[in-house]
Amino acid sequence: MTHEGLENEEVTTMASCLVKFMPENRTIEVKEGTSLVKAAAQAGIYIKSGCGGKGSCGACKVTVLSGHPEVKGTGRLTQEEIADGVRLSCQTFVYGDVTLEVPPESRLQEHQVLMGDVQKGLLKETEQDLLEKFGLHPLATKVHIQLPEPTLTENASDWARLQLELRRVLLVSSKPIDIPLSILQTLPESLRQAEWDVSVTLTDLEHGYTVTRVEKSNQRPPYGLAIDIGTTTVVVYLVDLSTGQILDQQGTYNKQAKYGDDVIARIVYAVDAPENLPEIRKAVVDTINELTDKILDRQKLQAQDLCVAVAAGNTTMTQLFLGIDPRYVRLEPYIPTMNVVPSVPAKEVGVHILPEALVHSFPSVASYVGGDIVSGTMVTDMANGEDITLFIDIGTNGEIVLGNQDWLVSCACSAGPCFEGGGILFGMRAMPGAIERVNIDRETLDVTLKVVGGILPVGICGSGLVDGLAKLREAGIIDRAGNFQMEHASHSERLRVTPDDKEFVLAWAQQAGGEKDVVITENDVKNLIRAKGAIYAGIRSLLTMVAVDVDMINRIMIAGGFGNYLNVHDSVEIGLLPDLPPEKYEFIGNSSVKGARLALLSQNAWREAAELGRKMTYIELSVGTTFMDEFVSALFLPHTDLSLFPSVGA
Amino acid sequence: MPVTLIKERFPSKVGEVTLGATAEQGGTRDSVVVVGGDNLLPFLHFEGKVVNRPVIAMEVTDIVPPWNEAIKAQFGDVLDNPAAWAKKCVDEFGADLIYVKLIGADPEGLNRSPEDCARVVKDVLAAVGVPLIVVGCETPEKDNEVMAAVAEATAGENLLIGLAEQDNYKSITAAAMVHKHNVIARSPLDINICKQLNILINEMGLPLNKIVIDPMIGGLGFGIEYAYSIMERARLGALANDKMLSMPMICTVGYEANRAKEANESVEAFPDWGELAERGVLWETLTATALLQVGASILVMRNPAAVKLVQHNIADLVEVAEA
Repeated sequence: MTHEGLENEEVTTMASCLVKFMPENRTIEVKEGTSLVKAAAQAGIYIKSGCGGKGSCGACKVTVLSGHPEVKGTGRLTQEEIADGVRLSCQTFVYGDVTLEVPPESRLQEHQVLMGDVQKGLLKETEQDLLEKFGLHPLATKVHIQLPEPTLTENASDWARLQLELRRVLLVSSKPIDIPLSILQTLPESLRQAEWDVSVTLTDLEHGYTVTRVEKSNQRPPYGLAIDIGTTTVVVYLVDLSTGQILDQQGTYNKQAKYGDDVIARIVYAVDAPENLPEIRKAVVDTINELTDKILDRQKLQAQDLCVAVAAGNTTMTQLFLGIDPRYVRLEPYIPTMNVVPSVPAKEVGVHILPEALVHSFPSVASYVGGDIVSGTMVTDMANGEDITLFIDIGTNGEIVLGNQDWLVSCACSAGPCFEGGGILFGMRAMPGAIERVNIDRETLDVTLKVVGGILPVGICGSGLVDGLAKLREAGIIDRAGNFQMEHASHSERLRVTPDDKEFVLAWAQQAGGEKDVVITENDVKNLIRAKGAIYAGIRSLLTMVAVDVDMINRIMIAGGFGNYLNVHDSVEIGLLPDLPPEKYEFIGNSSVKGARLALLSQNAWREAAELGRKMTYIELSVGTTFMDEFVSALFLPHTDLSLFPSVGA
Repeated sequence: MPVTLIKERFPSKVGEVTLGATAEQGGTRDSVVVVGGDNLLPFLHFEGKVVNRPVIAMEVTDIVPPWNEAIKAQFGDVLDNPAAWAKKCVDEFGADLIYVKLIGADPEGLNRSPEDCARVVKDVLAAVGVPLIVVGCETPEKDNEVMAAVAEATAGENLLIGLAEQDNYKSITAAAMVHKHNVIARSPLDINICKQLNILINEMGLPLNKIVIDPMIGGLGFGIEYAYSIMERARLGALANDKMLSMPMICTVGYEANRAKEANESVEAFPDWGELAERGVLWETLTATALLQVGASILVMRNPAAVKLVQHNIADLVEVAEA
């Protein structure tokens, strides 16, 4: 009896109501007592809330068209508005079916944020494809071969027969064609089961071909894998080698992260005990394989269909990927084991592709300028033409390349993981839920946000942090040294002191996808200032050392996992990037994986990568005091030397 | 063949700051003191012009200071009377300015109220005709209250008040803006912080010609070379038209020089060192003269005998040009 009674009671308290939203005409079911703002969020409609649901800001107005929701507060609504059915959605609660209209001005929406400063200086990733320039001639190929059946008089061996036909189809006379033992072992059966009608996959290198697979004739194109092995994230592209098209892509955190955030920590772990190097190597191979398997599954392909892979990573990542002891990369005088990396059959590396297929890795320049930068430099096309280009890859390390067709210099500076979301209380990488744009009202400190994927915010990614820092400064929440100004004229509740720190609330918990308010703290701000200071100091040091004036730079190419956009205006505003006209800037996203794709598809690109690796001069910033001097003066917004940022107003 | 002197011409100069205000200017001073304005490296007369000679501000504290007897004895019985003490500094020792340090405000010490402190400053103003520099007790929170009271009580006098520092510059800057005074911006021997602080203060709305840099110094034998190189960078910055480094500099010579053991220990304790009376004077003098060579505009000094020597030195350095 009691049991039943309880159940009944539960049913009555769980009573639900239908809430219909106009103009979407979307109806959802919510529990009794739910506020309209929450109901809207459940329906995927995000309503602004400046005060965080206290009923004081009036940003969350909606119009009730039918039904009688309970009103707990009307804030500053006028009598007229109330008579017209206007309610504050945070102060109005559902106790029956309701139909309401959410006016555009109450919506937290992409276009609303985008309208503000009309995207001043906002750069979308460029889509320029250099494949046309390099020409399609992939590192692996697949050919259809129809062999004449052997007879007593036409009795050449299986391999000689296949080789002869391959030479004819591939149009090669003298270039060697090799076949590994594992393929020979199964060759007789492969040929006969296919009734002499086969598809042959080969690696194609300058010095010769190698057969990697012989199978029954089919129409499937050859596929390749482009891999970016980042310290923090790993990205994989599936590429159709016959068309150059990217068929699928997938990215995730590097599983090595559990051994440390930066390359130094990874090296320390890798050499700490003999079993550690295989373990940390396996971590990155597992990361790549998981991504690959996911793509294969999605595309209904087999691992054997992938007939080549090109990986680009920094020097340490490359060494760890191949299981090469990295300890001397860390110790002065910072010597990598090799710059030119041998291409290795996949079965030796453990990557889930055709076992005999080759895994190529981009060459490095030095211990701290690796294959990812060589790859990116190729994508920028800066080594062709007289224009001086500055290429900056902003990741856990900031790597910088400067030059043109005649000369290239590079350097690296440690920025820390800030721009990839590390070392920041609510930092995250650019994925759905990450705040990528921030607007702060200078008077009220009300916030509007743009979130990747258009969902509720759970954290902030690199581009959001750049934006946020600039907007905190513009709104007078921080001074140029990054100190929070608690006596801000707005007296906004968003600006508050906690036992640990001072912080500014970007999104209140009820508007956020987590349980906590999403905030940016004074400590975050100081970390960001150090990170941007390191990058800018690296740029300045490199320019100083080669005596190039910043105005001589014709274009600046920025790479990095910021998100979909790089806000050049805000980047200059905070002193991350040099104060040059926005039209000189280009944002090229993840240039490392883009270069890996080019190499997969083009012999010329792969040759150019080797050439670039040789050509680039590395400058060690830890020699001398230039970098330290530059770094210290860059710890200010935008910079201690304001004359370097003439366009940045007070 | 005649030798041609290579002369360097700089694109800019050190900014000028005017301290004090006469009756016409809304104050009560007999005359004002202008510092800065030079367009040359210190005293290289063949390259430019020394517009305003360096000046000496003598230290006066609101309560009897814990200084050594060799210095105190030279002042006689005025040390418990800031007004009389200041008057003596001006009339007898020829001080260009009086530097009032309100150590009695220290919460750990007498903890004098802001109003009491303001009264002391008013008394000194009444006793002398030279402009005043006023600083607190170097406890930031207390100083913010004290200096606000002093700035208000002396509105119109165009004092130089301090200290604005990187972590505590707002309230004193605000006080100076409201009541029309100048501010000392103090940075810890760091050219970047020096410049950043000037930017922060300027952005609050205080004009650049109302700021004086205190680069902080080390006394002779205690890091004076660091002070020298920082001040040299600031001076070169000013001459190269870096507006955020172009303010004249104030150096707390008396305080730093007299912190040294060498300026305080008796000859009995260290027979090789010679008489304290002479040694203390020289220690402060040499600290001052070294910093004059790198562009100090205001020397804050303590020992009257040292002041006398440095006055001669300044006269010699400036007269070369006039001769």
